[in-house]
This record gives sequence, structure tokens and C-alpha cells, in this order.
Amino acid sequence: MAFPISLIASAELSAESPVFLKDSFLGWLTNSILVTAIVVGVIVWVVRACTRNMQVIPGHGQNFLEAIVEGFYGAVEGILGHKMTVKAFPLLASLFLFICMADWSGLFPGVGSIGWFHTHDGETEFTPLLRGTTADLNMTLALTAVSMTLWFYWTMRVTGPVAFMKELFGVKGGMSGPILLFLVPLFLFIGLLEVISILVRPISLSFRLYGNVSAGENLMSTMINIGSLLHAPQWLSSLLGVIVPIPFYFLEILVGFLQAMIFTVLMIVYIQLSTVHEEQH
Amino acid sequence: MIHQILDQIGSSFGVTWPKFVAQLVLFLIAYFVLSRYAFGPIMKILEERRKRIEEGQLNAEKIKKQLAEAELRYQEVLRKANDDAQHLVEESRRNNEAFSQREMEKAVKESAAIVERARHEIASDRNRMVDEVKREMVSLVVKTTAQVAGKVLSPEDQKRLSEEASKELSS
Repeated sequence: MAFPISLIASAELSAESPVFLKDSFLGWLTNSILVTAIVVGVIVWVVRACTRNMQVIPGHGQNFLEAIVEGFYGAVEGILGHKMTVKAFPLLASLFLFICMADWSGLFPGVGSIGWFHTHDGETEFTPLLRGTTADLNMTLALTAVSMTLWFYWTMRVTGPVAFMKELFGVKGGMSGPILLFLVPLFLFIGLLEVISILVRPISLSFRLYGNVSAGENLMSTMINIGSLLHAPQWLSSLLGVIVPIPFYFLEILVGFLQAMIFTVLMIVYIQLSTVHEEQH
Repeated sequence: MIHQILDQIGSSFGVTWPKFVAQLVLFLIAYFVLSRYAFGPIMKILEERRKRIEEGQLNAEKIKKQLAEAELRYQEVLRKANDDAQHLVEESRRNNEAFSQREMEKAVKESAAIVERARHEIASDRNRMVDEVKREMVSLVVKTTAQVAGKVLSPEDQKRLSEEASKELSS
């Protein structure tokens, strides 16, 4: 069956619903939401399988999960301290595991490549049945919304609104006297910049993850279809479509892990910046 | 203006409230499940294990201390037992020497008594034998004299001859 391959390789900015659902009440059910549901289902199944019968002397599954949790907990505790880690660890570990699995889910054969062609405004378009969930801005925005909401909640609980405002706009360094006349406007300006940087955080977090994973998908798609793009013969095009993507699969596995790590580490840093100094005091 | 920009970004990237909420809910489910069934119980069991290891280490330290104390007590008991044994050996040696001395003295006394008794018996046997020989000799002298004289000796003669022969033999 001769598909217009160049369409598959083109950039898809948004997640799509199946054509037959588009105008129904299930119009929100996109291919990436379907993958999210699968990822969540796998997480739930694995976690329940590993923790159904918890023992002090663990079995293989429990041991595997404990190794991940213990290693990650130690790393987070080293940065946030014990008090904040107890609060924030479930979110941070959930973010890491979820993003990692979601990133890698896009690498499974069939995700992004099995779908259907349809005509839209006179042009033939390809809609995949499944799409990497972190390649959907709705998902990365949802992750950011949960993370930043909890960040704000913990900051207010641990630091308090007054101390937080002082931390943003207050004059640092224990200065006093007439020099304050010069320093107060300066620190107000710095505080304003800090507020802007805080407001930008959700955008940078969500777009970084979305951009990297989308770019990875496009890269993989291009590599799979490189033969066709170069107008190579059909047999060579098929061969290149199998061989060329292999190193990029490894690259994408690494990128998926790194993106999960970056998102989580940035959240740890944000929490640390706004809460840990209070804990130290 | 900002609203328009956001709308444009939203439509370009396919961001809509229903899709956003759906993704949000799915992530919250994952977050809830992981917190409730994975991290919570695992942290609890890790904490329990940490406590057990801590207790084990404390117990090991305690046992080590007790062992050291027991070792000291053992050494002390051993030293005391050695001293006692040494003392007993010394005492028994002393007792043994005294006993041996006493036994030896007793043996010497007994042997001296035996020798004395034997000597006494020998002397008495000798005297008895001498007396018997004397009696035999006197009787022989009387018989011989009667045969030589060729007559029957009267009791007075026999008495006289016996006394004379006895006198002669005694001298």
C-alpha cells in the first residue's frame, strides 16, 4: 500500500482525535490521552504487582521498586533535607517515573506510525492511533500545573507569604543605614525579575519537555522515512528505514531519561530555593 | 491581547481545556496510585528495615560489650581457678610430704619392732632348744650311765646324775 510517506514525516504539533470521535462528546479523547491512559495503567499494574505483598525481606518486584525509590529518595534528601523530602518525594518520584515511561512509550513500534489517512481541506493527512504522550502540550502543561501548584502550596506552608515576599523583595546581606535608599529600589527590581522568572517557570518546564519529545518524534519519523525523502528505490528505502533509526532509538532512550531527570531536578531546585533556607534556619 | 496570544498558542499546539483536564486527571491518578501504593508502603518498609538494622547494630554492640565483659570474667575466673589449683597442689604436696614422713617413721618403727620381736623369738627358741638338748643330754647321760654300770639306777641316783650332768652342761 503506497502511503504518501512525506506526510508521516512532517511535524505534527498537536495531538489528534480519531476522525470518528472528533465531533462526538468524546472529542477530547486524543491519541496521546490514549497513550497516557495506557502508561497510567501499566504504572498501576506494575506498582500493584510489586507491592501487593510487601515483606521486610523483599521479593524480586518489591526489591526492584525499592532500589529505585531508595536511590531516588537519597538523592532528593541530599538536596531538600529530610523534612521537605518527606512532603515532596511522592510528587517528585511520580513525575520522574511517569515522564520517563511516557517518553519511552513513544518509542514502541506502532506508536506514531500506525494510524489512518484522511482528507482535510482537500489535503491528505495522517493521524496516528497512538502518540507519545509527552509530545502533547496538554500533558506537559498538566504536569507543570500539578507541580507548580504543589510548589506554591509547600512554599506558603513552609516559608509563609510574608517570609516569601521578604525573600523576593527584601534587602539581603544585613545592610542598614542610608545605603538602603539605594538598595531598596534595586532589590525591588531584582524581586520583580524573580517574580517574572517564577511566572516563566511553568512555560519553560512544559515547553522544554514538549519540544524535546516532539523533536525526538520528528527525528525518528524522519530517520524511518529517510529513504523516501531522498527518493531512493523502494528496497533501499525499506532497508534504510530499518537500519538508520537504530542509533537514534538509543539516543531517544537517553533523551527520554534526561528529560524526566531535568524536569524533576528543576522542580527539586525550585522547591529547594523557596523552602530549604527556612528549614536550615 | 494576551488572551488572543494564548488562544493562538492553544490552537497551534492543540491545547484545549477538555484535553488538558483529561491529561491532568490521568496524571493525578498515577500520582495517587504511586503515592498510596508504592512510595508510602515502600518508605514505611524501608524505615522499618532501617530501624531493624539500627537495632541489630545496637544489639551487636551490646553483645560485643557483653562478650568482652564475659571474656574478662572468664579470664578472672580462670586466673582464680589457676591460683586455687596452684594453692591446692602446693597444699597437697605439703600434706603428702608430711604423710610420707609419718608413714616412713611408722614403717621404721614397725620394722624395728618386728626385728626386735623376731630377735626375741629367736632367742626364746634358742633357749628352748638348748633346754631340750640339755634334757636330752641328761636323759642320755642317765641311760648311758645305767648301761655302763650294769645296774638299775634308783630314782635318787637318776636325780643326782641328772643334776650333775645339768651342772656340767651349764658350765
